[in-house]
Amino acid sequence: MQIVIDILSFVLLAAGGVFMVISAVGVNRMPDIYTRLHAASVADTLGAGLLIAGMMLQAGPTLVTAKLVMILAILFFSGPVAGHAVARAALAAGVRPHVDHPEESADACGADFNVEAVPHETVRDDVKLIRSLKGLRPAGRAAKAKAKG
Amino acid sequence: MFVAATLAVLVSLVLLVVRALKGPTVFDRLVAANSIGTDAILLLAVVGFLTGRPEFLDIAITYALLNLIGTLAVLKYFRFGDLAHSGGEEPED
Amino acid sequence: MESFINMILLTLLAVVTLGVVRLRNLFAVVILGGIYSFLMASVLIVLDAVDVSMTEASVGAGISTVLMLTVLYMTRVEEAKPVHTPILPLFVAGVTGAVLVYGTWGLPAFGLSDTPINTHVGMRYMELSVPDTGIPNVVTSVLASYRGFDTLGETTVVFTAGIGVLLLLRRGVSLARLRRKQQEEEKPS
Repeated sequence: MQIVIDILSFVLLAAGGVFMVISAVGVNRMPDIYTRLHAASVADTLGAGLLIAGMMLQAGPTLVTAKLVMILAILFFSGPVAGHAVARAALAAGVRPHVDHPEESADACGADFNVEAVPHETVRDDVKLIRSLKGLRPAGRAAKAKAKG
Repeated sequence: MFVAATLAVLVSLVLLVVRALKGPTVFDRLVAANSIGTDAILLLAVVGFLTGRPEFLDIAITYALLNLIGTLAVLKYFRFGDLAHSGGEEPED
Repeated sequence: MESFINMILLTLLAVVTLGVVRLRNLFAVVILGGIYSFLMASVLIVLDAVDVSMTEASVGAGISTVLMLTVLYMTRVEEAKPVHTPILPLFVAGVTGAVLVYGTWGLPAFGLSDTPINTHVGMRYMELSVPDTGIPNVVTSVLASYRGFDTLGETTVVFTAGIGVLLLLRRGVSLARLRRKQQEEEKPS
């Protein structure tokens, strides 16, 4: 029985390790932030899930397993939250997704995503990006105050 | 067998640090930083099993929470430009 | 295996430090600082210093990041070019580093049993901690029981300092906002 558990847990650990490496390679190879997020989420779900499942088989029904379940739960909840927040902040800052046909994609994305508003060059430049972000806020507030008053 | 898992986590750590250094935008670095946090948690757990003392997993739980809070703080700063913002009102963008 | 893990982690630490030195965008530097803290915490875990690692993770990756971001709100995101040539600071840093490395030669080997740390009062704590306090972790029993009032005082000092810093930062933020609002009002007219 012990040998079956050992083999099973080795398979799970190996698969988890493979997915961790795949995720890291994806984060390096993908062309833009949104696809990199997609690659990074592999580590949070499959990579961590399989690794922790393998470790749980080794630990048996002890307090260690309970802690592992807690870690897994936190990772499962925090991963999507952090990923969603990164994507939202990137979109708000005007980082454009890398697309093959920019015109069609702009139509598909609707008003939330204005291609003309953010030229591609500024997006690549962190400093300009943040300055534009800082500049946007007071202007937006002033516009709102005008609309109200 | 934990050696293999440790090596895999270390390899992915190295690759993620490469992405964090390359950028190009702040958000790419953030994604890398978040994944490095996940990797650090898993490394801690795997090393605990490797050395035969898996009792330190409480620290891993704390790391997971800190990782989330750190990422969200940075992102809130980017979204609202201020950490004290209540977040109820959407900024114009 | 442990020394191998440490070697890789320490190499990554050096690489991240070089990145922090080379980058001029301060946001990226803050994020790299968080990465540095997580790597350092992993190194400390591998070295069995669990409590130090905990502190490193919470202070380095958590609080410092938030504080740095608050400071960045009031400054510029791009680091200014240095006014002087960096030769004298490089010399001072090099000499300090050399002296520190020289100092490590005088240290006893890692884990040696007949060093002052392990022969003086350390063993007393190890022996008496569990019968005295009932806490299995000796570091915790020293911090929270033997030196309980000391820890309480330290916590009070740090808490007060934190409140002071928060108050100062809030004031600065509102000033920056006021100034920007003034500029906004001046621009259209």
